[in-house]
Amino acid sequence: MIALADPLPERVRRGASGIVGTIVILLAWELAARALAGAYILAAPSDVVVHILQNSDLIWRALRETLGNATLGYVLGNLAAIGLAGAALAWPRAEPVVAGLALLVFCLPLVATGPILRVLYGPGPGPQITLAALAVYYTTFVPLLVGLRAAPASWFELLRSYGRGRLAELVHIRARASLPYLFAGLQIAAPAAFLGAMVGEFTGAERGLGLLAIRAIRALDIAGIWALASISAAVSILIYTAVGWLSRAVLRDPPPMILAPPALPRTGHAQGLAATVMRTAFVLAMALLLWWGAMTTFDLNPFFAKRPDDVWVALFTATDARETRETLAGALGETVVFLLPGFAGGLALGAGLAILLTLAPALTPSATLIAVALRSVPILTTAPLIVLLLGRGAAGTITLVAVMVFFPTFVACLHGLRQAPGQILDVFSTYAAGPFARLWHVQVPVMLPAFFAAARMSVPASVLAVTVVEWLATGRGIGSLMALSASLSDYDMLWSSVVIVSVLSALGYAGIGWVERRVLTVFASEQVAR
Amino acid sequence: MVANTDNGASPDIQCRSLTKAFPGNVEVLRPLDLEIAGGETTALVGPSGCGKSTLLRLIAGLETPSAGEVLIGGVSPAEMLRDAGLAVAFQDPSLLPWRSVRGNIELALKLARRPADPRAVEDLIRLVGLEGFADTRPGALSGGMRQRAAIARSMVTRPRLLLLDEPFGAVDELTRRQLADDLPPLWEKRQTTTLLVTHSIGEAVLLSDRVLVLTPRPAEIIADIRIELERPRAPAVTGSTEFRRLVEAVSEALAEGVRATKPPLAAQ
Repeated sequence: MIALADPLPERVRRGASGIVGTIVILLAWELAARALAGAYILAAPSDVVVHILQNSDLIWRALRETLGNATLGYVLGNLAAIGLAGAALAWPRAEPVVAGLALLVFCLPLVATGPILRVLYGPGPGPQITLAALAVYYTTFVPLLVGLRAAPASWFELLRSYGRGRLAELVHIRARASLPYLFAGLQIAAPAAFLGAMVGEFTGAERGLGLLAIRAIRALDIAGIWALASISAAVSILIYTAVGWLSRAVLRDPPPMILAPPALPRTGHAQGLAATVMRTAFVLAMALLLWWGAMTTFDLNPFFAKRPDDVWVALFTATDARETRETLAGALGETVVFLLPGFAGGLALGAGLAILLTLAPALTPSATLIAVALRSVPILTTAPLIVLLLGRGAAGTITLVAVMVFFPTFVACLHGLRQAPGQILDVFSTYAAGPFARLWHVQVPVMLPAFFAAARMSVPASVLAVTVVEWLATGRGIGSLMALSASLSDYDMLWSSVVIVSVLSALGYAGIGWVERRVLTVFASEQVAR
Repeated sequence: MVANTDNGASPDIQCRSLTKAFPGNVEVLRPLDLEIAGGETTALVGPSGCGKSTLLRLIAGLETPSAGEVLIGGVSPAEMLRDAGLAVAFQDPSLLPWRSVRGNIELALKLARRPADPRAVEDLIRLVGLEGFADTRPGALSGGMRQRAAIARSMVTRPRLLLLDEPFGAVDELTRRQLADDLPPLWEKRQTTTLLVTHSIGEAVLLSDRVLVLTPRPAEIIADIRIELERPRAPAVTGSTEFRRLVEAVSEALAEGVRATKPPLAAQ
């Protein structure tokens, strides 16, 4: 009856529910702020609007600055991603090395990279642009690499049957087949670039929204903090939506979900292990060589531009090496205590809520709408808010990490759950199987690839979240240590923490990939056999 | 038969001790000798998984033999591929989803480095009964319609050797009959050497000059049956005694091949 009596098209209903939802949220926000007035936590929407209007000139200039840097970083980062994917495609044997280096660079902790880039570049927008580029290239590179191969073997055989080779494959199949994947990457990259630029501004810029945010935090300017977070969120949602709209206009189809787990060599287990160790060693050697080469080529001052051997000395042979190691280990310990529960909690909540919504499908459209909107928000720009709300202790930090992991996991899992083949669900219906049986036997296994993809990508994101909070708010852990080392010009410590954090992040990413392969071999073998 | 070294029309096919094994020692073809005359239509019939498609792919140069060789008009498949002298209609239609039916057919001309030929494209679209769908993308077509588009594509370059792998699998019965009426005269007129893999015995007899029956894997030719039915073969031919006799002969050979290689049920 309800279905028959519903004359409104889906889009209108979605739009309406979005508008109603926004109004409800704004009202609740206003009421909560009025209730909490004087607690220095929540600024009411009306106060936020007043603040924006009063400081419109300042905010507008800062926004233009940040947007400009983010755009440049976005373009450069995505060009780099396309170049890297092209190199991996043209020279398949180099792919593990290219992918490994790309991952390692993606795992660089922006909080420490920022100050290092600041001294390398000097004043100006260099670090902001670089950080924006660093924040986007990996999320474009990975899907693009998948997309360039996302075509059935028979299409390539068709070309071969006309005597054509790799160039024709690229022109007629790969370039076009990879477009949806490229757009998926470009869409995720848009808010990430904005976030990267803002983190760059946190680390000592003269202009930009990041700088205003730092000032507002220091001055406990509640209305200012909320205004800046609202603007960042709104701008990110707008860009994200615009890229999505553009991709729909070009492709007619929505971008696909990227599921393919990291490639595995097609060798036996023992050989595979040896090959993995060899490859990892080679990637690390290449990374060290590039690092050393870059520092030497640009003839950078060894006081702040540390080489690999400097870090080795600082960690192992210097007279204070032991203290350095102990300080680092202590800080890492403090960080891990917050990072792991936040990470696990975010994953569990994201997957759990997606599953719950599948059992109560009536709620799904509005939940998806809100989640997709919020996924585009660079959560980190709201870090000051979460700290305001939950304090500088464990709760605030863990929550922020969890929130950072939650949204991508939730959206990916919802999408994954929807991939359950209708025909198989129909078979279950013919046996009158209940929703739990469908969930357990069909939908959850189908969801797993999306879940793992989200978990992998969340590793560097959660490290970024925890370090930013530690640095901006809690004053503990590795994030705080990096910020402190930067301000004390203790570059040995700073570079050492960059190395340790990057390697640990990359290991975490690889570890999830390892679990993923084993689980997917059982539940979704077609995703593994590539 | 003398090898047709003339690289022009109607190349013959010669397989000499052709062997194919896949990794893990899966033997698909035992040393197989086969000669197919130029300009003829030959059907390969055999049980599922017997290696028909592998044989077709070896002849198309899409697989390399483990031993032995294939010669097409005296040259290797690789050479044939180089000057786009052959075309394959795959079991899976393999249409590019972002190109319309017409765009997919035109792509074959482009890939074969032939000049655009809008009239030939339109004629083929009409021949396979897709008029009105030329600008439709494959996603909006039924399985059978996609296969028909793939058949049209395989013919647009006027290949000298046409390889069809179950091309009518998803095509509805009525259209199948229509295609069985329309395609062979065209192949005959163009003197195309055609090799057809099919599950349908009736189709094999109706379309071909010769039916080769294969045993279960590893494939061997168990019967080589000439089809002497007059061409053009009117639809009525399927009701004739001769047609039924040929169908019977092919089925008998097929069953014999399965019996010869399979242990009796009780022994399994």
